Amino acid sequence: MSGDLSSQFTEVVKNAYAAEQGLVICGHGSKGAWLPEIDLNNTQRLDVTRHSGIQAYQPEELVITARAGTALDEINRVLAAEDQMLACDPPRFQSVKADVMVGDNAGGTLGGVVATGLSGPGRPWSGAVRDAILGVELVNGKGEYLKFGGQVMKNVAGYDVSRLQAGAWGNLGVLASISIRVHPRWQEQVTLVFQMSAEQAQKKCLRLAQQNLPLQGTCWQGGVLYLRLAGHASGVAGAKLALGGETMQQTVDGSFWSDLRDHRVDFFQPKDDVQKIWRLVVPSAAPLPGAWLSSEDLLIEWGGGLRWLRHADEAAVKAHAKSVGGWCWAKGEQMPIDAVQGRYMNELKRAFDPKNIFRSAMSLQHAD
Amino acid sequence: MLHNPSMNSNTKNHAMVLQQLQSLLPSECLITDGPGLRPYETDGLTVIREMPWVVVLPETESQVVAIMRICREQGVSVIARGAGTGLSGGARPHNDGVVLGLSKMNKILHIDVDNRVARVQPGVRNLAISQAAQPHGMYYAPDPSSQIACSIGGNVAENAGGVHCLKYGLTVHNVLGVRVLTSDGDVMEIGGALYDNPGLDMLALLCGSEGMLGIVTEVTVALLPEPEKKSVILAGFRQVTDAGNAVASIIGAGIIPAGMEMMDKLAVEAAEQFAHAGYPLDAAAILIIELDGAAAELDAVTHQVIGHLQACGAYQIDQADDAQTQARLWKGRKSAFPAVGRLSPDYICMDGTIPRHKLAQVLTQIDTLSKAYDLAVANVFHAADGNLHPLILFDANVPGQTDHAMAMGSEILRCCVAAGGTVTGEHGVGVEKLDTMCVQFTAEELDQFFRIKDAMDPSGILNPGKGIPTLTRCGELGGMHVHKGRLPFPELERF
Repeated sequence: MSGDLSSQFTEVVKNAYAAEQGLVICGHGSKGAWLPEIDLNNTQRLDVTRHSGIQAYQPEELVITARAGTALDEINRVLAAEDQMLACDPPRFQSVKADVMVGDNAGGTLGGVVATGLSGPGRPWSGAVRDAILGVELVNGKGEYLKFGGQVMKNVAGYDVSRLQAGAWGNLGVLASISIRVHPRWQEQVTLVFQMSAEQAQKKCLRLAQQNLPLQGTCWQGGVLYLRLAGHASGVAGAKLALGGETMQQTVDGSFWSDLRDHRVDFFQPKDDVQKIWRLVVPSAAPLPGAWLSSEDLLIEWGGGLRWLRHADEAAVKAHAKSVGGWCWAKGEQMPIDAVQGRYMNELKRAFDPKNIFRSAMSLQHAD
Repeated sequence: MLHNPSMNSNTKNHAMVLQQLQSLLPSECLITDGPGLRPYETDGLTVIREMPWVVVLPETESQVVAIMRICREQGVSVIARGAGTGLSGGARPHNDGVVLGLSKMNKILHIDVDNRVARVQPGVRNLAISQAAQPHGMYYAPDPSSQIACSIGGNVAENAGGVHCLKYGLTVHNVLGVRVLTSDGDVMEIGGALYDNPGLDMLALLCGSEGMLGIVTEVTVALLPEPEKKSVILAGFRQVTDAGNAVASIIGAGIIPAGMEMMDKLAVEAAEQFAHAGYPLDAAAILIIELDGAAAELDAVTHQVIGHLQACGAYQIDQADDAQTQARLWKGRKSAFPAVGRLSPDYICMDGTIPRHKLAQVLTQIDTLSKAYDLAVANVFHAADGNLHPLILFDANVPGQTDHAMAMGSEILRCCVAAGGTVTGEHGVGVEKLDTMCVQFTAEELDQFFRIKDAMDPSGILNPGKGIPTLTRCGELGGMHVHKGRLPFPELERF
């Protein structure tokens, strides 16, 4: 079931604005586990999943425009039929709440992809979600339907409101329509496997990143480094020869990276209630955690720039992230927001949502 | 402060501001005399000039902070300026404002090879970053045509592009962090050598904000490994539509060239006379295509591209693997603007972007406009990303012809918007495209922009009157974009 509910959205928001009632924007809820608890008192749920459907797609323009409630699965299917893909390869998580399951298409919406801004294993080489966004249409907190950006690659007319929506977690408006850049699907994909320590893997990844290689993913875990080579067949073949290592079986290759992306690999399964899984974004060459962390509790992606840590000591993890010039965040927690930046972020929220109608679980308030 | 188009600062404060600036800055960092101010009366949009009141050239961030405090306290506007190569008048001075030239803050602070980033001051030239990274086999990808002169701070302000954007992105895709000073005096360190950051993406918001939201005092840019090999192809077509089809055919086949440029007959003739690049003078349009990457795949992709060009009717194809021939093939394109400048006393360069499949339609419309206005147009086009640069030829010494040319330019941009595109792909709005912004955006959308400005710059002193047209201005133009027949803000006076 799909359709254009944008005028319904503007009515709902206008009424909420008049009544000063909070709105909680909901998609499939597939990233619900990532969100902190939210006070639902005096709030109304605004379900965007039925505002769906692809509005424009011409493969040679390298852009697809779809309503925000369109399922990520649907987008991926339509693109694959034309040998294209979303370059940012966003994760597809499982819905955690039964009441937001929508048939088979519960793996997230395009609006959710943008609102959360979470990118897949290819982030350092193919760009983030925000990099791929070309235009958005949204309903701001006053119930105004606004269009920014467009379907063209280059556009500097006005402030970049479109990219500002990536990772805004619904704080600024109800996303209605999104134009996002697409990329030709890789002709060939190969995964090379090397047995080595985390330190050796980091050195290798830093060295390889300085070369002309069709790298599209790195993952180190449990003493094994996995390198994904993807792109033009001849380029992949040349790189494979040059790099050596064992080649992962073709049958498991594709699912290895999507399992990693979607957190279906063992590492991400909860072990106990004490250890949280922390997401650290750090400079690629930043020192690895020391002896305080068992190497089994570490998974490294993005050529060293994204590290997942399983650990019970919150203070130790935060201190480590800070000491290496990065930041960290755990599932279900607030993101750390700098005090000064937080002030401006809240002013920006007020600029879009003057009466604080949009009650995002992800706060923009300063927190360490 | 909403909708305040310009700071009408009181001249009585000027003496006090000047006195404070004099005590803050060494004499070589402060320009107040006529001849010294002259170079700052315009940026790259030379048809619009205004003498600045005073120019400051700080050497340190703390001086910038102090200048901002003085201007905020006295309500004097601050117009940031990089190298002055901007093409939309974004750095056009105000006769009662302070031009904040950042050219002396030109140090490359750190080339971080392991993290593949460079940390630089805003006055560093775009090309200087790549030159500093070159010994490490790396470079900074965005290459606006002014890269030899333009500064990275200006690139951030304009979200500068270049000929390699389809594959390597614009400035926003290649800047990972900034230090930014707000008009309230806060210094924020946003991003860094990191792939994402918590909270709202203010880094994306700052890119292309034309100095209206903050002053960038330091930039962290991504460095990429230099391509192992390049291949450059020149193709001549008898029909412009064939060249357009070739572009669609190549991209539709899943090939993302590093650059793909189109030039029409007049641009080719001018460039060939100027640069002797060997372009076919009987072609209706040419394409210059650059492919790059690992040697292993480049030969195969080059072969594929040539196949598409032939299938789309290219009657002349030259391909070069060696740097010398490649430079020659590029030389005509890179000198297209000065070459066209020799055809005519003056020209203005437009910057609309359209969906690629609308190319033939928009080029036909430009041709019709050219005849109607009796002004010649040479078209240079970043074909890969749909960014048109029609060059309108005119003579500023003929009374009225400058306005005539500007009016024609506005009509071209209206065609771009009607085709689903935008009034500016990479040059920015500045003062040049304020009027056409009224065509592209509704009153509510413009109001949203003003609210963003107010959130970041509550005192309204940063580059006022640029980038976003006031509702009054749009109302006066009659170009107000009326949404669903309702005139927004009926309570506002329009005169």
